[in-house]
Amino acid sequence: MDMITALDSNRARAHCALFLVLTLPCVALTLPWTPAAGGPLAPAEHANLLDRLPQSWRDDHGQILRVPSLQGRRVFVTMAYTSCHLICPMTMQRLIDIQRDLDARGTNAEFLIVSYDPNNDDPVAWRRYRVSHGLFRDNWHFLSGTRSDTERLARLLNFEFWRDGDHVMHDFRIVALGSDGAWRGAIDSAHRDWQALL
Amino acid sequence: MRPLHTVVAWAVCLFGTYCLAEPAFAADTRDDRVTVLEQKLDRSLKLIEQLTDRVKELEAQRAATAAAAQTAQPPAAVVAEPSPQTQQRLDSVEQQVTQLADAAASRGGGGAGVPLHGFFDVGIGNHTANNPDLKGANMGGLDIFLNPQLGEHTRSLFELTFEVNDHGSVQPDLERAQLGYQFSDAATIWIGRFHTPFGYYNTAFHHGQQIATSLRRPRFILFEDQGGVMPNHTVGAWLTGADRLPDGKLTYDFFVGNGQTISSGSIDMRSGGVDSGGAIYGGNLGYVFGETLNGLKIGVSGFRSRITDDQLAGRITRVDNVGVYFAYDTDRFEHIGEFYRFNDTDLIIRGPAHRSSAGFLQLAWRLPIATPYVRYERAELDQSDQFFALQNQGMSYYRAALGLRFDLDPKSALKLELGRTKDTDRVIEQWTDAMLDYAIRF
Repeated sequence: MDMITALDSNRARAHCALFLVLTLPCVALTLPWTPAAGGPLAPAEHANLLDRLPQSWRDDHGQILRVPSLQGRRVFVTMAYTSCHLICPMTMQRLIDIQRDLDARGTNAEFLIVSYDPNNDDPVAWRRYRVSHGLFRDNWHFLSGTRSDTERLARLLNFEFWRDGDHVMHDFRIVALGSDGAWRGAIDSAHRDWQALL
Repeated sequence: MRPLHTVVAWAVCLFGTYCLAEPAFAADTRDDRVTVLEQKLDRSLKLIEQLTDRVKELEAQRAATAAAAQTAQPPAAVVAEPSPQTQQRLDSVEQQVTQLADAAASRGGGGAGVPLHGFFDVGIGNHTANNPDLKGANMGGLDIFLNPQLGEHTRSLFELTFEVNDHGSVQPDLERAQLGYQFSDAATIWIGRFHTPFGYYNTAFHHGQQIATSLRRPRFILFEDQGGVMPNHTVGAWLTGADRLPDGKLTYDFFVGNGQTISSGSIDMRSGGVDSGGAIYGGNLGYVFGETLNGLKIGVSGFRSRITDDQLAGRITRVDNVGVYFAYDTDRFEHIGEFYRFNDTDLIIRGPAHRSSAGFLQLAWRLPIATPYVRYERAELDQSDQFFALQNQGMSYYRAALGLRFDLDPKSALKLELGRTKDTDRVIEQWTDAMLDYAIRF
């Protein structure tokens, strides 16, 4: 009697094990699954992002820059603010490197530097920044917009930032758009090679 | 007859087989749906193409009509202009779309919730950063930072820290909790617990060590629970803003709040309310230079507080503080200097005022590979002044420090500091610190 009970018990365990083997893969298949990100965040790789950006910005000359006027040109977009002395200088240096390489290849591009801090970065502040940093190229546009436009652009191009008093906490990031306005790639702290974007 | 558990086992096995089959059905259903959606998409694209062609055709017709009308005399003026009602509706729709987009932008992505940010640091040294009696590895604070955007004008800021005290236990502390209303760029009023706006350092840097160049704060403006002797936090109201001038910017702060008390040897900002004593009030005026001396800020600040203590019931010490400061912050330099004078009076005894002073000068050079800095601090604190005598760390001292900051990436920094400190009254002693700190933000 004890032997029969033991056999039954072993059989029941085997059945349970079989059940687990069969059902666990099913459960795994039904779970939501998200692929891991393999590179800098690309918001919509095939979309014309230039069309989706806020269309009107004020530059350091006090003039309105209309984004549609950049259609057909390659565009590098970054965000910065004039009183940043830690990360933004590094971003500007990288833009200078990109500009140098573009010049060497005989290629043109527009550089948009959009302020994280539009309340403080008016055209006068940007003009002062341009002069003090020796950034005189006409294809470099130092821009400020409304707070909502700034946040919208940041969200579209995955520029993460937040305010901490007078500080704006942000990362190093440059986004490249092709002449069709589509996403070409981004340079950030984890992806520093810009040669592929030229 | 089979035992019951065997029957149950077979039943669940059959159920498992059913589950195995279910995803296949689901996959088939998904494929069908994808096919249907693709067909719908194709039809939509064709429809868009047809509509695009039709629009082009209509535009061509309109252009031809306009050209014909221009050449004909007199002009027929039959080009369809939208009626005022139509134009009004179009404007209204455009405005609504813009408002919806703005609202979505201000919510930070809609449905993403409040972003969580924070700071953390860990150190090692022959002394810890704030307590010379301890050495070895030590955890700094985990500083959780929230600033949800509540509306166009409403602001908020919360800073919750989990600090390890000298006994090694973790203590939560709501360092800042403030709600604000922004009238304009020139004026925001905050209510809650905030950093008292004296000088420059106390409002420019907070509990997260990653944003500060140096490894530790000047000793006399350490936070209250770390041994600082200044009322770094106030619970009350704070009006702050800036006004643009032709070549620079004028900044201002005015605040009023609960007068602090000295409890168990350290300053308590009485976040729960006041039962005795008085209020703290003060202000700060600064000027940020523009074209000339770009990067330089200078200013003056002052506060008066009526401070009670737990040693003598009814005693109130009136603390009067005035300070001057400068900060020169550029891509190449970060130089900060502050100097404060105290003129404190025991309002019960009504004796002579006690005069004390404290200040520091920090010079930092932002080089491509690292940021070296030097700092000198000095505090001469009158030990017959109950405000300092009752504080555990209220002794006079000087400290010289030499440090180096490496920014490993935009979110993390490694700092080294070598310091020499001497307590010059109460108990005279001196020591040398050698510390390393790894600070991050997220």
